Amino acid sequence: MTQLIADAVGQAWANFLESVALYLPRILATLSIVIVGWVIAALLCVFTRWTLRWLRFDALSERIGLAAALRSADLSPASVLAGSVVFWLVFLGFLLSGIDVLGLTALQGLVAGFGQFVPRLLVALAILAVGFVVANFAWRATLLAAVNARMSSPRLLSSAVRSLILVLAVAMALEQIAVAQTVVLTAFAIAFGAVMIGLAIAFGIGGGGLARRFLERQFPERPESNPDRVSHL
Amino acid sequence: MTQATLLSDDLLRRLISVGQVDVLVGVPTLNNADTIAGALQAVDEALTQHFARARTVVIAADGGSRDGTVEIVGTTAPEGGDRYRGLRTRHRFVAAYRGVPGRAAAIRLIFTAADLLQARAVAVVDPEAGALTPAAIGGLLRPVGADSFDLAAPVRARHPLERLLVTQLIRPLVRAAYGRQLDEPLLTEFACSGRFAAHCLAEDAWDRSPMREGIELWLAVTALSGRFRACQTVVEAAPPGPSARPRLGLQDVFAPLVGSLFAALEAHAGAWQRDVPSEPVPVIGGDHPPPHEGTAGAPSGLGGTFAQDVRDLRPVLESILAPDTFTALAAVAEAAGSEAPRYTDEVWVSTVYDFAAAYHAGVIDRAHIVKALMPLYVGRVASFVTRHAAAAPGEAAQNLETLAQQFERSKPYLIERWNRTP
Repeated sequence: MTQLIADAVGQAWANFLESVALYLPRILATLSIVIVGWVIAALLCVFTRWTLRWLRFDALSERIGLAAALRSADLSPASVLAGSVVFWLVFLGFLLSGIDVLGLTALQGLVAGFGQFVPRLLVALAILAVGFVVANFAWRATLLAAVNARMSSPRLLSSAVRSLILVLAVAMALEQIAVAQTVVLTAFAIAFGAVMIGLAIAFGIGGGGLARRFLERQFPERPESNPDRVSHL
Repeated sequence: MTQATLLSDDLLRRLISVGQVDVLVGVPTLNNADTIAGALQAVDEALTQHFARARTVVIAADGGSRDGTVEIVGTTAPEGGDRYRGLRTRHRFVAAYRGVPGRAAAIRLIFTAADLLQARAVAVVDPEAGALTPAAIGGLLRPVGADSFDLAAPVRARHPLERLLVTQLIRPLVRAAYGRQLDEPLLTEFACSGRFAAHCLAEDAWDRSPMREGIELWLAVTALSGRFRACQTVVEAAPPGPSARPRLGLQDVFAPLVGSLFAALEAHAGAWQRDVPSEPVPVIGGDHPPPHEGTAGAPSGLGGTFAQDVRDLRPVLESILAPDTFTALAAVAEAAGSEAPRYTDEVWVSTVYDFAAAYHAGVIDRAHIVKALMPLYVGRVASFVTRHAAAAPGEAAQNLETLAQQFERSKPYLIERWNRTP
């Protein structure tokens, strides 16, 4: 009986050591891949930040309004943020490659999936960036045109234009990365419809007076002021 | 665009047949049938009186008139009356220019023709009623033809509350930046030397926006920034008559002119960044005219939206103005409420200089920078007009001089802001 237990324990240890002998090189390989990946990602991060600074990307982001948006969201400057994105994309790539080396059945296919996901993510980020630039440009152009044309509620008008373009860009970006497409679409439709119905009920039926006072306070009528009544030239 | 492509074959042949001339008078036209005959008569009379022995040519640079302007120019021959006949043949014809109708294309064609004909003196005359009299045209051409000036700009008696875009912004900024006191930087009419015309033709402003839209201003500052002799001649405006030209609103003129001025500052940055006091541009033909008499009155409600405009534009203004300037501007706006603001010279000058530096740096889209200045300009105008509506013209004119001096005193601030931006 004792001999049987000893054999079983010995066999278990032999199996364990065999597994360790089998997986240890893989684990070490994974660790080395992760460490090298971290170093390469960090170097690429520094290089990206340095290149973008050299290209005055922060000044450009200031000009297109991206810097102000990042500040308001308590995020880093654009060049730092871009460097971080590069770091995490590269590091995640190495990390998943390292995990793939382990040969774990449950995690197989992650690298291939990640490889397919990255291009879509980059396209989605590009869509978001372009959408943000266009939205900001349109917002400023609308605001200035409305103020100079003496229109009432220029802020409301320009904000509506910006929101519309941003919503469109976000929807396009989400569609690109195909993240829970149905859920996003349904949630968007339900939320948008609910907001509109809520506003219609609240402002149209339930609280007309309150809504009027609120709107008058937020978007006051412009007093009559025609600058063309004096000689400019 | 080269000379060859600017001038049609037909026009080229016509100019060659004219040969070398001494004086060329150009009249930019576009549907001016009501007034062109009077303008041409004034030109002919001026050339007869002041340049009887000179070889002269009058060219109507037309942008595609459809109201009979071209026919009127063709049929109203200069030899139509004895009193307009000079001692030498005077040529006159219509030259249609290509491209977008506008002053820039017309003046470019006139300058090209002048260069080809080797004209010593060139005058550009506005065909609209209320433009120059024969004496005024002669007065403009004489300093160029006889005294070797490169640019002669008109100077008129004006009420200080007229032409507020010029007096509040363009003139004092030009004076401070370029160090020359030119009364009329917007050259609706002017005379220049063939040398100056040839120099301008070689520049690239004709095809570049916004300089193209504000070409009259660009010509003036080019003369002031280069090695050209400029003068002013005292002219009296002809009595106002009918005009086919629709009156342009502030929105139509503000962005092209101010954009053109900022672009010119950018182009001439090497020429104006010295803090030296300005010099008057000599006045020929009399003393500088005193301000026009009479009170203009203040339109009611002017500037009433200033506070709201500043609130609405806050995020845009914060990206353009220095923090101190924005704080001062916000205080002016808050104090104004729904009344005309009290926009002081100091704050106004800082505002303009911050906008010029922001335009140079391109902190946001440049067209947006210029448009964002317009509501502030309206506030400044409201402040000035309200303050001087009942004042004597002399007092208002003195305050315009004070404003111009403030622009000059603050020039180091402009240079510092200009060079600080990347």
